[in-house]
Amino acid sequence: MNIIVCVKRVPETAEADLVIDKTGRDVIKSGLVFDLNEWDSYAIEEAIRLKEKQGGHVTVISMGGEEANESLRKCLAMGADDAVRLTDPAFEGADGYATAKVLAESIGKLPFDLILTGTQAEDDGYGQVGGALAELLGIPHATVVNQIEAEGNKLKVHRELEGGLEEILEIDLPALLTIQTGINEPRYVSIMGIRKVAKKEIKVFGAADLTLVANETGLSGSDTRIEKISFPPTTGAAKMIEGNPEEVALNVLNILKNKGGLA
Amino acid sequence: MMERQESIAQKFDLYACYQCGKCTGGCPVTLRSKLNIRRLVLQGVLGKDLERLNERLELWDCTTCKTCTLRCPRDINPMNLIIGLRSTLVEQGHIPRTLIDALESVYKHGNPWGKPRNKRTDWIKELPDPLKVKDFSQGEQAEFLLFVGCTASFDPRIQEIAKALTYNLHRAGIDFGILGNEEQCCGNEIRSMGEIGLFEELMQTNIEKFETYGIKQILTSCPHGFNVLKNEYPQETFTVAHGTQLLARCLEEGKLSFEKEIKKVVTYHDPCFLGKQNGIFDEPRALLRAIPGLTLKELDRSRERSLCCEGGGGRMWVEASSDSGPRLAEIRVKDAIELGAEMLITACPLCVLTLEDAVKTSGHEEHIRVMDVMELVAIALGRPQPSSELNP
Repeated sequence: MNIIVCVKRVPETAEADLVIDKTGRDVIKSGLVFDLNEWDSYAIEEAIRLKEKQGGHVTVISMGGEEANESLRKCLAMGADDAVRLTDPAFEGADGYATAKVLAESIGKLPFDLILTGTQAEDDGYGQVGGALAELLGIPHATVVNQIEAEGNKLKVHRELEGGLEEILEIDLPALLTIQTGINEPRYVSIMGIRKVAKKEIKVFGAADLTLVANETGLSGSDTRIEKISFPPTTGAAKMIEGNPEEVALNVLNILKNKGGLA
Repeated sequence: MMERQESIAQKFDLYACYQCGKCTGGCPVTLRSKLNIRRLVLQGVLGKDLERLNERLELWDCTTCKTCTLRCPRDINPMNLIIGLRSTLVEQGHIPRTLIDALESVYKHGNPWGKPRNKRTDWIKELPDPLKVKDFSQGEQAEFLLFVGCTASFDPRIQEIAKALTYNLHRAGIDFGILGNEEQCCGNEIRSMGEIGLFEELMQTNIEKFETYGIKQILTSCPHGFNVLKNEYPQETFTVAHGTQLLARCLEEGKLSFEKEIKKVVTYHDPCFLGKQNGIFDEPRALLRAIPGLTLKELDRSRERSLCCEGGGGRMWVEASSDSGPRLAEIRVKDAIELGAEMLITACPLCVLTLEDAVKTSGHEEHIRVMDVMELVAIALGRPQPSSELNP
């Protein structure tokens, strides 16, 4: 089975103090720590597990600058066979749809039975690339997948629904699945593992390698443009609790008790 | 992966083992783990039953306290066998999730606690003005580098130890500075978890930093940092001392005088990485004995025989693989209370955390208090304290 996994390198923002830049449309990224998008780490792990179980070939593909190599190498160290980077100034500023167009063009040149993406990315959280990519390639897709069973040229996939419900689908190959966190436990990537793939070739494609014209990619090829980003307004509902850990814990306990949060 | 041409027995020099079992007999975690270090060495010698390593979760139970190695009459190093097997697992990527989180945090943020690098020095902001700390990364110079360590930098409880040490160093007239937000993990726990590649990278960047700032003498508050700097880093350019060593020397030279009485019965828990691994038993005791009013009682299992608290070898980030039997730290707390101690004193951030947890989980918060030597020394030197500080 030929599996293609689309991945993205994203900044980690959970613990960071974010600052909005001068354009008002992005955050200042210097000083932020970057890693493989969390959902994508589950997607690549799932691809490698499928390969380990029934053989095949895993290609990992990412759109981004040279720094995307870091995430691609992590995937190679996890067990991907090939890596492709899509880099061109013309790709910059792409929304989910414009990203999907570039991915579709590139993936169209490769043999594949299955495409995996993360359900969404940690940074913009659009969750659009998977669905749009499947449409552009004309293949069926399923989103928010939390289990995959291979059955010949079909897959049985489980989807996580609201209210604790689970949907089980049969889907014909070739297909695209967007992978939900928790589908597996992504393996650790050791420094030795990264060193072993340090010299492995990463193929690079730019706009000239694709048949897309300039106004189809990047910002000009996007249907959506970010107008501005801002922090949510501070309201009076949040209360900051200060003190040493014991005091804070006691305070929280009392609040929960008084507000009926404890049975 | 293990190199083919070299067997496990050759790689870890196991052939001298005559299976006397002193290693397992001394191993503290055998009380509550399937880990049997004698059997593991035998399997290594025979090259048998070591294929499905990822199913042997007990390999993560070892605290790398080194008792097995120190007691071996044949000079084998069974602890290195465990670290070596762990490194195979690390390379295969199949290790407990919580350890992955700690290792990835060290790779990304330079500390295993998931905290951003630029918050490393937040603890010094709470120090009063006279205790200002020099910062090499801000161009300041000093005689000693205080390698604060990740736990003392980020854990709110252990930050108190860093603050107490800072006070004590000022009182002793020691000229010291820190690396500021350029400090990162020392790598001791990373190495013991078997992530040798990451350890090497940490060591290399740390040494470069020491050289850049012309650092000749390093001081640590954490025995784990002390151990790795002293025994695993190359020693050509700097010397290392633990805080208790330097302050005991200051005491001897008359640079410290205790002005406050502490009328308490205390006992001292030897941290494995300070005591049995590096032979520092007397310095912390000398400091405690010099405190007026203090009565120091010895635990039965003290000095070389000290019972490990289960805080080393990556165990801060992973629970034991089986939950049979009490935590060793709980046994330690019980022993201290039976001895009549009102305070359980140690000299290690990780020991303070495990022992303090054990006081809480065993319901002894009313009976005993856990403190670092540095905190008690600071009080005896007259550091202003909240009135409840000394009571459980």
